[in-house]
Amino acid sequence: MSDSTTSERSSRSYTRRQIVKGALGTGAVLGLSPLAAACGGGSSSSGSSGGAGGGSITIGSFSDPAMVPFRDVFLKKFTAETGIKVNYHETNYDAWFQNSKTDGLNKTGAYDIYVMDDNWVPEYAASGIVQSLDKLGLKVNPDILAKGLDQGYWPPKSGPRLQAFANDTPELFSLVIIDDVEILYYNKDYFPTAPVTWDDILNVAKTKSHPPSLYGWSPRGVAGNPIVQTYLPLLNSYGGNFANDDWSPGFAGPEGVGALERLFEFIPYMPSGIAAFDTSQETAVMLQGHCTAMTEYTGTAHVVDDPTQSKVVGKIDFAATPKQVKSGPAIGTFICGIASGAPNTAGAVKFLEWFTSSKVQKEFAGGGSAAVTGSALRDATLSAKYRWLPAIADAVDNSIPKPRTPDEPKMEDLLGTELNQALVQAISQKSGYTQIAQSHLTAAANQITAYLKQQGTYGF
Amino acid sequence: MAETAAPRKSREGWRGRFLASPYLLLIPAAIALAGVSIYPLFYGVRASVTHYLYGRDFGFNGLTNYRNVWHDEFFRQAMVTTAKYVVCAVTIETLLGLGLALLVSREIRFGGPIRVGLILPMTIAPVVVGVMWRLLYDSGVGVTDPLFQLFGASPPDVLAHDTSAFISVVLVDVWEWTPLIFLILLAGLQSLPQEPLEAARVDGAGRVRLFLDHTLPMLRPVLFVAITLRVIDAIGTFDQIYVLTKGGPGTATRLISIYAYNTAFLFTQYGQAAAMLIALLAMVMLLMIVAVRMMRKSLR
Repeated sequence: MSDSTTSERSSRSYTRRQIVKGALGTGAVLGLSPLAAACGGGSSSSGSSGGAGGGSITIGSFSDPAMVPFRDVFLKKFTAETGIKVNYHETNYDAWFQNSKTDGLNKTGAYDIYVMDDNWVPEYAASGIVQSLDKLGLKVNPDILAKGLDQGYWPPKSGPRLQAFANDTPELFSLVIIDDVEILYYNKDYFPTAPVTWDDILNVAKTKSHPPSLYGWSPRGVAGNPIVQTYLPLLNSYGGNFANDDWSPGFAGPEGVGALERLFEFIPYMPSGIAAFDTSQETAVMLQGHCTAMTEYTGTAHVVDDPTQSKVVGKIDFAATPKQVKSGPAIGTFICGIASGAPNTAGAVKFLEWFTSSKVQKEFAGGGSAAVTGSALRDATLSAKYRWLPAIADAVDNSIPKPRTPDEPKMEDLLGTELNQALVQAISQKSGYTQIAQSHLTAAANQITAYLKQQGTYGF
Repeated sequence: MAETAAPRKSREGWRGRFLASPYLLLIPAAIALAGVSIYPLFYGVRASVTHYLYGRDFGFNGLTNYRNVWHDEFFRQAMVTTAKYVVCAVTIETLLGLGLALLVSREIRFGGPIRVGLILPMTIAPVVVGVMWRLLYDSGVGVTDPLFQLFGASPPDVLAHDTSAFISVVLVDVWEWTPLIFLILLAGLQSLPQEPLEAARVDGAGRVRLFLDHTLPMLRPVLFVAITLRVIDAIGTFDQIYVLTKGGPGTATRLISIYAYNTAFLFTQYGQAAAMLIALLAMVMLLMIVAVRMMRKSLR
């Protein structure tokens, strides 16, 4: 990339007004407003067609196994208790991301609540696709774990902020409904007590694993998001950051290099094809009893005791991800926002308050789901039945969020591509880990910095 | 004079309307064509000169998206990977397709079932093909690694290494699309005039000379059509590679279609994604123009 181009791009910067106004422009360009409004049946932005005492609300979501109890049990329960009918539409993740965005930008009134991935919050909040829950008067249950709740604030309460929102007071734009967080899965046959540090995991890998029948660790290695999810708990635990407070990458220093070297140290004790491993391969190794430990999101916890899917029923236990300096699992919550064009905001607010209440969350955790309240996750009776629940609570408390920006997927892709290339190189070379880690992390850091400059919203 | 002018005028009016009627009748079809074909293309060109930030439209942006794409090293990598992929896959498919067509074009026993068997892969949806081959290649549950281990070799982990992953996705394409070339060439072979071939046989030409001097030159237009179709299709390959490798490891199998998809739908850089695809379209068109000219020249 030439210097002139870089400076030309970096001279462009955007104010908050421009970003929000741009949203209106997109609606006009898409030319979908009239059509969408006709299909959706209205364009009210804050009216209450049903009211809290009746009517209906419409929830849209991406499909995910974690949403099944929410969809099949709790929506009916809400209707039974409040008289508010719930329409529920779900589609695949990518399609729902686009649909909800278009819907919100055009304020069609087709949906009241969007179920979102937490990394959508910056874009959805910054451009008014979802409404401020504070302004709608939503009462937050103080029992909700703080780190999970923080995912719904815009601008973020901590960490780097987009330049245009640097001085704004954080407002709650979305409310967490499922605390999905990375936890450590370990086989009790090889760990008499929960491993606390990465050294503990590596020691067991060195002494007890004998590939290919037993591996010491099973990670995700596919380029992009998967390998970043493997790397982040390591990076955070070594004291590094995905992004520093000034948006400079925080992984190319000694902490990040050390964390990646630690990943490479596991190479002799990991399956040989890990550079192509995603969740299904990674968990299959664990559930077949061929692995001593792995870090993964909570979605897999439900199946470890299912004899149809697991050969290690009752043997897997859970803990917060290991620390070196500190524990630092990545967090990725399922989170709900109220649509900018929601026809029944009162009903939507009521639903969110109801679902995140301590009583309902305890019932939600009663099926083994990753509830969001401390009382549900740390309930002694429930924890005895679903032993991953307290680990989720600990992991949420220790979690470190990814950078809160709409550019996070691109940053993740750039880092994830270099991490994957580094892993492939380390597997084939079997030595020179420091140099491999340093060169690839520096390359990723440079690419991310150049990209953020090009975007013009980061103040450099 | 006045009495004859009116009927003549009326006759001319009718004739004018009669002559215009084919064009009037074409209007609905033209509107439909413009709606489904020209408008999306126009919209794509427009998007490529629009600045989108976080999915929002900030208006006309000149050639900035094209400039950004030009300076994007991952775009250049994806172009090179796509070119390598297309050249490798289409070359192998053409050679294999031609060989199979020559074999099956003769009356052989079980010719019918063999033909049906050969065209089966291309009837399977590309996503299903991707899943199927993913299961075959998979290090954990696939058959490739155990097969190598059976013969005492270390497992290749085909999708975990740059070169083997690239070869594996080319192989999948070859498996799926050789039948198309086979089918086109078989039809071409069966429609060739027999007289020149018979005359050459009478003159004592052997099989190789017959093929090189007569069959291949006569088959060239059909071969050209088959290759052109496959090149265009292979450039846009997406489904099976997305399922198999998502473009990895690293960027080893990241074709332009996958990179453009990520740019548009993962990074919400619609303008740059449109610029990538318009640039690609321009290159493909240029390539096709050159190819058509070369073809015409060789036919002359």
